Formats: sequence, C-alpha cells, structure tokens
Amino acid sequence: MKTALPEDIAEFAAVAAKRFTRFGGPQAALRAETEDHLRHDARAALADLGAFDLDVRSAGDDLLAAAVLGQAAGAAALPYPLVEELLAIDGARLALVNPDAPRIDHGDLAGDWIAADLDGTRYHVHPSSRTNAKLGPFLVPAILTESDGTVSAADVDLHLTLGSWRILGAVQQALEITRQHVTARMQFGKPLAEFQAVRFTIADASVAVRGLHELAKYTISRTESTAAQVRSADALILRLKAADTARQVLRTAHQLLGALGFCDESDVSVLDRHTQPLIRLPLSSEMLALRLVPGVRGGQLETLFSDPVAAEPV
Amino acid sequence: MDYDLGADAAELRKRLRELISAHIPEGFLGACTDDPRDLATTESFCKLLASDGLLALAWPKEHGGGGSSVWQQTVLREEMWAHHEPRGAQYMGINWVGPAVMRYGTPEQKARHLSAIAAGEVLWCQGFSEPEAGTDLASLRTRAVPDGDGWRVTGQKVWTSYAQMASWCVLAACTDPNAPKPKRLSLFLVPMDRPGITVRPIRSMLGPHHLNEVFLDGVEVFADEVLGEVGDGWRVMREALAFERVGIARYARCESLLDRMQTELGEDWDRLPESIRSRWVRALIDLRVARLLAYRAVSLQDDPSAGPAASAARIATTTCDQLVAELLFDALGPSALDSGSSAALHGAVEDHWRYAQAATVASGTIEVQRMLVAREALGDHG
Repeated sequence: MKTALPEDIAEFAAVAAKRFTRFGGPQAALRAETEDHLRHDARAALADLGAFDLDVRSAGDDLLAAAVLGQAAGAAALPYPLVEELLAIDGARLALVNPDAPRIDHGDLAGDWIAADLDGTRYHVHPSSRTNAKLGPFLVPAILTESDGTVSAADVDLHLTLGSWRILGAVQQALEITRQHVTARMQFGKPLAEFQAVRFTIADASVAVRGLHELAKYTISRTESTAAQVRSADALILRLKAADTARQVLRTAHQLLGALGFCDESDVSVLDRHTQPLIRLPLSSEMLALRLVPGVRGGQLETLFSDPVAAEPV
Repeated sequence: MDYDLGADAAELRKRLRELISAHIPEGFLGACTDDPRDLATTESFCKLLASDGLLALAWPKEHGGGGSSVWQQTVLREEMWAHHEPRGAQYMGINWVGPAVMRYGTPEQKARHLSAIAAGEVLWCQGFSEPEAGTDLASLRTRAVPDGDGWRVTGQKVWTSYAQMASWCVLAACTDPNAPKPKRLSLFLVPMDRPGITVRPIRSMLGPHHLNEVFLDGVEVFADEVLGEVGDGWRVMREALAFERVGIARYARCESLLDRMQTELGEDWDRLPESIRSRWVRALIDLRVARLLAYRAVSLQDDPSAGPAASAARIATTTCDQLVAELLFDALGPSALDSGSSAALHGAVEDHWRYAQAATVASGTIEVQRMLVAREALGDHG
C-alpha cells in the first residue's frame, strides 16, 4: 500500500499552487466578481500549467494531476470552471445540475454547455445571466430543455470526484489561514492558540481535513479498479464527506477569525462564498446520503465485510 | 498510489475468518464475561494461533514471531477486534509488552518472557494508572524504596485491566522522588503471585475482570526485573506505548456490527426510519475515513509525522465507536437494552454500547489525542 501521492504529482501540485498565487489567489477571485477579464486570466493560468492537455478520462497520472490541480484551484478559489472544462463533451463544458433548480457556476462564460443530473440524464442548457449573489457570485440560473440522451456514469463520477478535490483545497486553505490567525492574534495577553478550547477546535478541524484528504486520495486511486456501481458510490461518498467537512471547517474558520472572517479582505470570506456552489450543488449532503441508502444493502457502499459487487453487464 | 493491502494480507484475512468460524462459538463477546468458558475459549484460541505462527505475527522470527508485513499486522488487528478479540488479554503482551522487552530488555529478560508471550502461555497487565495519576502518569506516587539489591514497592494501582487473570505485570513506580519528573520512574517486570500484591475487582459497566485495583504492600522487586534503566521508566513507557500507536482497530468492529445487524434485519432494514438509514450511510462513510486514517498512520511508521497521524486516526475511530453505538441503539429501539444470547446479535449491540463509552478514555484519552494533533498544527503554545 502506498498512501502518498507520487512525487511528480506532488511537484506538479506545488507548481500549480505557485502559479495560482501569482494569479492573485482568493483576492483575485474577489476582483473577478466585477472584473471579467480575470476569469480569462484564470484560464490562461490553467493553460500555462497544461490543464487542458490532461486526459482525465484515461485515469492514471492525468487524472491524479487533474485532482491536485483542482485542489490548488480550490485553495485559490480560482474563478474558472476547471472541472466542467476538463470533462467537456465535444467542446461543450459539462455542468452537473439539479433539474429542479438548475444553476451553473460560471454559466455566463462564452462557449457551449451541456448539463447532466446525477442519474446521467443529459440536457441542453440555456444559461441566463448572473444574479450577483453573495454566495456563489458566478452562479447562473439556467433553463434546461427536455432530456437529451445520457452522459456516462463515469463522467458524472469524475465530476463529483474532481469537484471534491476543489473543496479539499478550499478547506485546507481555510484551516491554514485559521491556524496562522490563532497563532498571531493576541487576546487577554496571549495568542489565541494558547487557549485549550481553540486548540481542540483546531485539532478537530485538522482531523476532519486529514480524513477528507485520505478519502480523496483513496477514491481517485481506485476509479479504474472497482465495479462501476461501487465507483459511483465512492464518488457520492467523497462529495458528501467533502461538503460536510467544508461546513465544519468553514464554520470553525469564521468562529476563530471573528469579525475579520466575514470581511472580503479576508480570504476566508472569499473561499467560503465562492465554494458554496460546490458544497450545495447539485445536491445537498442530506440528499447525497439518501442516494446512498440503497447501496448499504446492495453492497455498493463497500466495507471490510461487504460482499464483492459484481460488475454490471456493459 | 495504491490502497491494496496485498495478496498475502488478503489470504491472511481469509485464513483468520476460517479459524474464527471454526473455533470461536457464535455469540462470543470476548474474554471478560460472566461465563468462564469465554476465557477458556481465548486461551485455547491463542494457543492455536501461536501454533500457526499467527499470535506474534508481527514479531521478528528470532523471538518466535512470524516476521510479517505491517499490512498483515493490520489485517490481524482488524479481524481480531471485529470478532470481539478472541485473543483475550493476550494482545497487551503481543502488542507492546513483548516489543518493549525486545527493545529494552536484558538477554535474560528476553529469554524468559518473549517465547512465553509468543506461545500464548502468559497474560500481562499494565500497572500504570493510580488514583491520583491517570492521564498524567509522570505524577504517579507508588514508591519503590531501595532494599538490599532491589526495592520494596508500596502503593496502589487502579483501572488495571486483566489484573485478576494476569501472571505478570509491567509495574511503574517512583524510584527517586527528588529527581526531575521525567527521571523519577522505573518499570519492573513483576510476577503477579509475588507476596504483597492484592487484586480487587471493580464492578463496572464494562463487565467482570476488566477493571481492578492492585494494592502493593512492600512488594519485593529485584534489580534484574528492571526494564530499561533505573529512572528511565517514563521514556520507556512513552516509547513502548508508541508500539501501540495506531491502537485498536475499532472501525473494524463497527463495520462488522453494522454488517451483521443489517443482515439480521433483512428487509426490515428498508423499513427503518429514513433518518436512521441516512445516519447508517454517514456512519459507514465515517468508518471508511477512520480506516484510511489508520492506514495512513501505519504507512508513515517511523516518519516524524507518524505520531499526530496516529492521534488523528484514534480520534476518528473512537468517535466512530460511540456514533455507531448510538446508531444501533436507535435502530433497535427498546430492545437495545436487552442483553444475553436472546438479544440482538447475541448481545453484541448492547455489549458494544457499554464498551464504546470507554473508547475515548482508554489508552490515552481523546483530549490527549487532541492535544497532540493541536501541537503539530499550532506548536507548543499552552
């Protein structure tokens, strides 16, 4: 068993993080809310890194590279629909939507879009315009046409998985900002980090983030080797855990940063607002859990004791 | 990146399940029950494991072990705990007393103790905690006063698991009350039948045999019974307990209980309230995460970050223990309180709930684990 990322992938992750810092990090994402050219600059940064040469559907190193790229993008709140473009079909970006209330992050960007729900039902999309929402400032309500065929389950699974890596990056960054804050901020004559309640809160958030990281690595490492139904359950599991972890860690960050964390000059505010679409869409974690319920008795939600799930006939 | 435990580990898991199925009676809930046959079961099962080289699987071959990979050890830990630890109290000798003797013991101590532990012939208990020194072990008060070539030990230990059945004890005592705190303690390997040792069981919700008081009244200990150097007990204790870093594979018992309960409920599982089934999903996810955190800690081994990684794994798995206990109780409703062979899973659910209360206390409280994780993140503030 090897639980560490391969060295070359870890190096690529470091290069990507540096490039996104040069782009401007979360503060550039904040400016992109009003300065549209920054989203094009974000795409240019991704192109510099070779993002659009990655064949994520081939799994292997390209998929791992896409995962850590997504993680770095999440840490920077990079204002670009990276996962949607990596999984484009015939040049049209692929969005995962809830057909009951379709919304597409960055759906106002030029170019074609295809939407799919978690069942893989495919729709044509007519995005409208941005509503300047505080939570998910690039979200665009969309109108879906009648269903139009299907998108492969593998694409839906990859979408959920790579999106979860973005969430992972965001929560890791939020925790790091919080860690730096509590070690520097003095109250009652000593750093916040000397208060046991603060230390325990940081410890709990740290365990949650470590756990999400391990789950993300595990999930992406076996996308090719498991039965399709298990892979789909894996993707839902990861997204559910990512959303729950984000809620916990971002709440921790806000609490420990105090009023500063609500201000846009703090990266925590930007990370939180810009990551909300990934945390809430296409379905809430409660709804994701309900989708997984049949997998308990069906064995798709694998444990040490579940019987192997037979591969579905193609 | 690869999360495959390997063919040898998979084969071992299969073999262990076959052995358990053939030799452990249905409804077995561990050695510490009111039924003396359960203790006998563990004794015979340990000898069976020992004869197959499986009891001390992790040990080097020169000490009677199997020289296995860390992943085989992980499988052993998972399968034993999932099936209510049919090694009984043996795991203490195997998991840390033996390894500590290997590292710090004299040639005579190694010859005397290691093969006996590997053969499953002796039980050990750990005389550490005291009425006024639990988590803060360095403050313990049991005194070892020089007497001839050795010492006389007087004091009291408490919460000593397995003291009634153990034949040997790793006893921590203060040999120099005037020394700096880390240099006050020494460890002794003492037979439990030595005059002056009195064991008194403590009734508890965990079941018989588990918790005991041990009274030490001028107990004679000898120079050749010191483990490591005199005054170096605190360091030896800390390093020895690091052998147990990853600790018990609690997630495996939880996964097993959920699997067995779901099988027992059959189609009734689908009729459980939606909120319970949703919690079931989340529990299985949390257990997967706990298992992966444990694997990460195992894979780091001697890396400097191994300690906090193990603490994170312990926080996750002990929390899961209690979460699953509550989930199963809520799923069962009033019958959750039933115990004995007619209860759900032969009483395993009720048994698990009681033991889960101790999960965040035993072998290093969750508060200590949080302190260790926080220290890595925030440094030594506070």
